[in-house]
Amino acid sequence: MKCLETEKLISYAYRLTDEPAASEVRAHLGECPRCREILEQYGRLDAVLDEWKAAKPTPGFDARVRQAVEAQQARLEAQGFWGWEWARGLAVASLGVLIIAGVVWFTQSHFWVFNSSRAATRQPAQARGPQTPAQVAKLQSPTVTAQAGVRPAQAAPELKLAGVALNDDKDAQALEDYDLAANFDLLSELPKGEPRVAN
Amino acid sequence: MGGHRSPHQARDFFVSFPQLFYDQSVVYNVATMAIESDLDLMLRVRDGDSASFETLLRRYRLPLVSYFRRMVRDQGLAEDLAQEVFLRVYKSRERYQPEARFTTWLYRIATNLALNAIRDRKDEVSDTASDDYDGPPALERFVDPQPTVEQRLMQGDRERLIRQAVEALPENQRAAVILHKYQEVDYRQIAKILRVSESAVKSLLFRAYEMLRVRLEPLLREGRI
Repeated sequence: MKCLETEKLISYAYRLTDEPAASEVRAHLGECPRCREILEQYGRLDAVLDEWKAAKPTPGFDARVRQAVEAQQARLEAQGFWGWEWARGLAVASLGVLIIAGVVWFTQSHFWVFNSSRAATRQPAQARGPQTPAQVAKLQSPTVTAQAGVRPAQAAPELKLAGVALNDDKDAQALEDYDLAANFDLLSELPKGEPRVAN
Repeated sequence: MGGHRSPHQARDFFVSFPQLFYDQSVVYNVATMAIESDLDLMLRVRDGDSASFETLLRRYRLPLVSYFRRMVRDQGLAEDLAQEVFLRVYKSRERYQPEARFTTWLYRIATNLALNAIRDRKDEVSDTASDDYDGPPALERFVDPQPTVEQRLMQGDRERLIRQAVEALPENQRAAVILHKYQEVDYRQIAKILRVSESAVKSLLFRAYEMLRVRLEPLLREGRI
C-alpha cells in the first residue's frame, strides 16, 4: 500500500483540510500502520509544542496602556482643529501652490523658447546666412543656388527657377524660407517648360 | 489507532484545562466574551465608550503579549508592542469598519509590528542583551547523540529547545505557526492577516510543522506524552 503524502497527513493532523479529504485520510489510516505512526508523531509534536508556555503581561501593563491611551487622547484634544489638521491642510495647500507655480513657470519658459525658435526660423535666409560649411559650399554653387532659390550673401543679379526668371520680389519672398528651399525636390518634380510661379 | 484524534484533541487529554487560563481576569474575560462580541465593543469604542475599550484591553492583553513574546522573545519589547497595538486600535477607532473579524484586524496590526521588530532587531545587537539569554545553542547539544545529554534536560531546556526551533523558522512561517498553534487562529483567517492566499498559508504551515518535527525529533522520541 502506498503511503499518503506528508502534506495530506499534516493537513489532517492540523485541520487544514476539508471533510472529503479528511475522510480519505481516515480510510487510509485504518489500513496503513506507517501513516498512523507518522500521524502519531505530529500528535506528539503538538503536545511538545504545548510545553512552550505563554507569557503573562507584567502587573503594570494595563495601567501603562491606559496611561498611554490617555496621553494620546490629551495630545489629540490639545491639537484639535488648529493642530495637525490645520498643519496638514496648510501643507497640502502649499504643495498645490508650488505645483501650480511650477507648471506656470515651465509653460512660460518653454513658450518663450518656442516663440524664439519660430521667430528665428522666420528670419530671411539672407539674414541668417549659411549655418554649416556644407551649406556654405552648397550656396556658393551657382546651380544649387538657383535650384535652392536661396540668395547667397552677395545675391546674383538674376535668379532662375527651371528656366523662369525670379526677379520679382514676390517670387523671391516665396523662396525665402530656408526650410522650404532645402526641400526643393518637390518643385523639381513639376513638368519642365511651364512657369512654376505665376506672375 | 481506533479513530482519528487530532493534535488539538490530544492536547486536551494531556494539558489540563486550567492551564489555558492564567489568572482570574482571563476567566472573567471568557464570561464577558459570551455577552459582548468584539464587533459590538469596537463599535462602542468608536462612539467614545471607554469602558468597552477597557473590556477589549482585558480580553486581548494576554493573547497579544504572549503572541509578541513568542515572536520577539523579549518580555519588555513584547509589552511595548502590545501597548502599541492597543494605541493603534484606539487611535483608528473612528475609521474602524467592521469588514473583517476584529481579531483579524488586531492580529494584522500585531503581526506587522512583530515582523518589523524582528527585522529591526536583526540589524541591531545580538541576543546577549536579552534578560533570558540562553547560553550556547541548546539544539546543538541536543542533537548530540550522547545519552548523558538527555539526562541533563530539564523542563526549561525543553522549552528553550522548542522556542529555538520556532525562532529558527523563517519569519512568515514563524508567524503562521504561532498564530495557528498558539493563538488558535484558523488558517483562513491567517491568510487574511498575512495577506496571502489560503493555499500559501497551508504551504507555510506544512513546511513549518515538518521542519519542527525534524528539529524536535529528540523530544518526540522521549515520549513525554
